Amino acid sequence: MPWHVESSLSAINIIAALYGFWVPAGVREGIERLVVISKGHCSLALYSWLVEMGALSDAELRTFATPSSRLQAHPEAGRVPGVITSTGSLGQGLSIANGLAMAARLDGIRREVAVLLGDGELDEGQVWEAAATAATLRLDNVVAVVDRNGFQHTGRTEEVKVKEPLRSRWEAFGWHVIEVRQDVGRIAAALEEASKIVGKPVAVIVVSDGGA
Amino acid sequence: MLEVRLGSYRRALGEVLVELGRELRDLVVLDADTPKSTGSIAFAEAFPERFINVGISEQDLVSMAAGLAIGGKVPVATAFAAFLMRAWEQVRNTVARMGLNVKLVGTHAGLSAHLDGASHQVLEDIALMRALPNTTVIAPADAEAVKELIRQAVTEVCGPTYVRLGRDNAIPVYRRGEVRNLRVGHVNVIEDGEDAVIFAHGPMVGVALAAARILKHSEGLSVGVVDAHTIQPLDTDAVVKLAKRANLAVTLEEHRPVGGLGSAVAEVLTSSKVSTPLLRLGVGKAFGASARSYWDLLRYAGLSPEEVARRVGGALT
Repeated sequence: MPWHVESSLSAINIIAALYGFWVPAGVREGIERLVVISKGHCSLALYSWLVEMGALSDAELRTFATPSSRLQAHPEAGRVPGVITSTGSLGQGLSIANGLAMAARLDGIRREVAVLLGDGELDEGQVWEAAATAATLRLDNVVAVVDRNGFQHTGRTEEVKVKEPLRSRWEAFGWHVIEVRQDVGRIAAALEEASKIVGKPVAVIVVSDGGA
Repeated sequence: MLEVRLGSYRRALGEVLVELGRELRDLVVLDADTPKSTGSIAFAEAFPERFINVGISEQDLVSMAAGLAIGGKVPVATAFAAFLMRAWEQVRNTVARMGLNVKLVGTHAGLSAHLDGASHQVLEDIALMRALPNTTVIAPADAEAVKELIRQAVTEVCGPTYVRLGRDNAIPVYRRGEVRNLRVGHVNVIEDGEDAVIFAHGPMVGVALAAARILKHSEGLSVGVVDAHTIQPLDTDAVVKLAKRANLAVTLEEHRPVGGLGSAVAEVLTSSKVSTPLLRLGVGKAFGASARSYWDLLRYAGLSPEEVARRVGGALT
């Protein structure tokens, strides 16, 4: 059954870096690290990762996208380990991450929130509403990980709706930007670097080979 | 023409938010660059660290409120009701789907922004919000009711909630202290009557009372008035019981006749096999219009007390 396989493949390194390195490193350092998967259609990457980690069985993975399965096509909060917000509608995750980051600030909790965004998802105006909010509030505990695979539903991103110059766009919105190639170790290192940036939210743009 | 001195929904909103802010440390208020208009400015001044102005971006407003709720806060998001509706999909897909404890307060609803005209006069919001599962929908009658029902919405209702408010068009219904009888989820019978019973919300409760007086004096009719402030979940048992007792049931609201209280009551009466005829009164135009006064706009929309009395009286003869 085809289900956004390309989108899951370009997200799998990011999922591994986030859940395999970034979150556990936070536990060791006493930082609560949360992940918002805004591009929810990459659920297969997450579920496959959870199987690799032994958090899900192979048999359960085979229940994917059946009505009574907790493995819905778009991940649902509270049903799947590591999923704190139900997604599936693009463009909303960064705003949600900002809310979680702000709640931590008000409570004096050490929390960092990563949000996984698709590059096609950046067409949604709400992403930029939220980008401006994070910069205004200086939410340096928010990191946006952009899966820059160069493709969206209809075709190449630059043909559907121009995204470039992507780095400058995030910088113009007041974000610190780190660009990184598709490699788990490099993405994990970029996320650690992001954690040290003070006073600004950070965008980690993960560029796929053969992408944009 | 009855033109009483009007109270202010938005001033009452500001006052109750400040009171609740003192009591609840987890209360956070968000606005989309309209705190001076919605009344949330009072909270912003009292608790600047717990107030977030996200700018003119209602979608961001709703989703950020969702994030705060996931993070354990009690967010109240205030905005013009018309523009809060552009975030309906955010309400559906995050707030309602996850059952988050987010309070959405839409001000300037109905015809209350009488000068602004069609763009600002939302007449479809109850239909939109009522369509969502697990979502409480409340429209307080007057300023006193705002304070009591928002207090209950924040302190007693856990889950998605939409509170629909007007602007400065609160026709006084309750004296201070009387609102203690109001309970979210339950209608409040203000006046009994056998000939007809009018179910209303928001400023139309005041209009219904005025219309009932007109019908009593001019035609000797006994018309009951019920404050149906909670449109969802509707107090179905009470609605059925009250409608059965009368010769005519009427719904009255500053909303399109489709999808609002009128539809909710029609659904209940139909499925309960109540044979009492139902007259659904709402804004009799597709969209609103600019008017120099709220009363002028009510006349334009067919919702002045005189017009309501005429239509109810006509349906009884």
